[in-house]
Amino acid sequence: MAENSPKKVIETLAFSFFQIQSYLNRLFLSIPDLKEITALIEVGAYAREVRRIVRAIRWMIQLRRNLKASVLSAFLNYVLVPGSELHSCLYSYLPKEDEQDMELDTTTSATQAPAKHSLPELEIYCCLLVLIFLIDQKRYGEAKACSSTSIARLKNLNRRTVDVLSSRLYFYYSLSYELTGDLAEIRGNLLALHRTATLRHDELGQETLLNLLLRNYLHYNLYDQAEKLRSKAPRFEAHSNQQFCRYLFYLGKIRTIQLEYTDAKESLLQAARKAPDAALGFRVQCNKWAVIVRLLLGEIPERTIFMQKGMEKALMPYFELTNAVRIGDLELFKTVADKFSSTFSSDRTDNLIVRLRHNVIRTGLRNISISYSQISLADVSKKLRLDSPNPVADAESIVAKAIRDGAIDATLYHANGWMVSKETGDIYSTNEPQVAFNSRIAFCLNMHNEAERALRFPPNSHKEKESAEKRRERQQQEQELAKHIAEDDDDEF
Amino acid sequence: MDPKITELSQLFERFKAAFVRKDFDTCAKFLSQLKVALTEFKSLPPLFEETPNAIQERTLARDIYEHAVFLSVKIEDQEALERDFFQLKPYYTDTHGLQPSTQEQPILGLNLLRLLVQNRIAEFHTELELLPSSALENPCIKHAIELEQSFMEGAYNRVLSARQTVPHETYVYFMDLLAKTVRDEIAGCSEKAYDSLSINDARQMLLFSSDQDLVKYIEEEHPEWEIRNGFVFFQRAKESTPCKEIPSLQLINQTLSYARELERIV
Repeated sequence: MAENSPKKVIETLAFSFFQIQSYLNRLFLSIPDLKEITALIEVGAYAREVRRIVRAIRWMIQLRRNLKASVLSAFLNYVLVPGSELHSCLYSYLPKEDEQDMELDTTTSATQAPAKHSLPELEIYCCLLVLIFLIDQKRYGEAKACSSTSIARLKNLNRRTVDVLSSRLYFYYSLSYELTGDLAEIRGNLLALHRTATLRHDELGQETLLNLLLRNYLHYNLYDQAEKLRSKAPRFEAHSNQQFCRYLFYLGKIRTIQLEYTDAKESLLQAARKAPDAALGFRVQCNKWAVIVRLLLGEIPERTIFMQKGMEKALMPYFELTNAVRIGDLELFKTVADKFSSTFSSDRTDNLIVRLRHNVIRTGLRNISISYSQISLADVSKKLRLDSPNPVADAESIVAKAIRDGAIDATLYHANGWMVSKETGDIYSTNEPQVAFNSRIAFCLNMHNEAERALRFPPNSHKEKESAEKRRERQQQEQELAKHIAEDDDDEF
Repeated sequence: MDPKITELSQLFERFKAAFVRKDFDTCAKFLSQLKVALTEFKSLPPLFEETPNAIQERTLARDIYEHAVFLSVKIEDQEALERDFFQLKPYYTDTHGLQPSTQEQPILGLNLLRLLVQNRIAEFHTELELLPSSALENPCIKHAIELEQSFMEGAYNRVLSARQTVPHETYVYFMDLLAKTVRDEIAGCSEKAYDSLSINDARQMLLFSSDQDLVKYIEEEHPEWEIRNGFVFFQRAKESTPCKEIPSLQLINQTLSYARELERIV
């Protein structure tokens, strides 16, 4: 019969072989990669070149998905001395696998001659790997314990090459505590670690720890203390783009609460712009806060902001809010605020929304003043839908304050209860366009200068005289560097 | 009970008696004695050690500070109020096993009101963020929040009418201070918004009881206002024809900076 023809049988057999092969490949694809990463770290540690270690970490992040317990246990066996304390500690976190995988494991490990260097970098790297694995498996309690032991190990190390690894470790340490809801416990530890990092001139560590501390304070709404820490902590050129974005975001949040909206807007918009494309959640948060700050400043954000790829659903409540503020209708504003109150409270922007009421009234007033040359105050209060026991007197004082603040241009006649708007003059005959142009020019020039300063050159390049061979090598390295900078965007921190 | 605690509570009773009698000098004296005695207890902030009588000591200390806050309101000393409130705050935030105090909400509202009166709006909002949303329903705190909103919007008559609905009698002092600030604000707004006001209307809006007070106020604070024929005229004629001056210095600075930056581009 046709189904049992030899050709078909061979085909199905080949297909299943192929499947098993790819399964095995996926299982073991990671081990050679991990070994390459180890080699990179070793070279970097001996040559004291931090760049290689950074590259190693970036590679590892890409492999994160393929990590399995079997792979990890084999790797630990390869790298660490089996009897050592660290090895047994980390090994205990990995689940015990079934027989088949163990057999395959032992065959591969038996074929190598493991070189047990026990570089401190490698040890910390293993801690990091196990920690990431535990967090990805959602075993947060164990992740907490693992991270605490790793931090204890870090206290004795003082090498620049370990800094990159340790900053990642701090991040996951804080993350594991945050996911279990115990952030307040580690605040003291983070402060002590920050002190140590400052003493050792570990700038990347300082940056990371400052951000983690700010996050800690802001999690509990302690804006006052966060601001005090931020203003006193030493500042320097940012070493890592991701940390800088985070710092800008936290700074923007603090400034918003302190009512300094212009500074806040600048920080938040910069954070949203600098963030890599892959960090969608972060950019959504930045945009949410930026929208509110712009509304509080009195300007309406453009529709394109809400239509960015992937953000439409998340920004929908804010879009409706902007609509309500733009129209200047208090009733609509109240309905929108009530409708999405759960979203706003989970974003912790509900107090800011309350402050927006004032802006709604101002916008409504501005619309009225532009459309009417003369209108009675009773009508004004009706249009603004001010629900209060004495609307006319309220409207009168509100309009008076708006006139004083320069929001509208009008005069009040108390005896008749009227508001009379003034003619708006020709804006091009004033200095306004000049001022607006100036701010844009200053911004572009600033951007240009910052881009120049951010150009990176390899260190020690001016010291050696170049032979043709070295020049070739250097050019190849530069190409690789450029490629990795382009890949930087995919880095998930 | 610990003899120190008994001694302290007795002193505290005498303090409370003097407070009721409105004998504020004796109160102040007792208060300083109480504060010195409190430093001997280790269970209080910032140490927060767990001694056997810890809870008792902490409750007692908290009561003492709450009364200190009320005392400072009565003697109208805002700085003392600020100091005592800061000493009281750790008892509210890190409770360590204390029962919630009945005076907590009024005192929190009092602090918010103080920040509002001193025009420290940024700190007002920072404090507000620290409160859980359940606290926002409390009448004392809600009162302060609504007051701040009306102040921001400019509905000053609402601010003044809120004086009638004070949730706690210690708030009256701050409402009076607020009334003064509000009056200044209204004067500033009216100056810009109205061409002229009749004397009666001006008096009503600025909350004076008689015309003499109004005239005196205008002479002291706003000498540029004119009073003619029973009307108050605000000086607004001067903004009719501003001569268009070119702000040359600013333009020169800007152009020079452009030239400098352009030269830097290699």
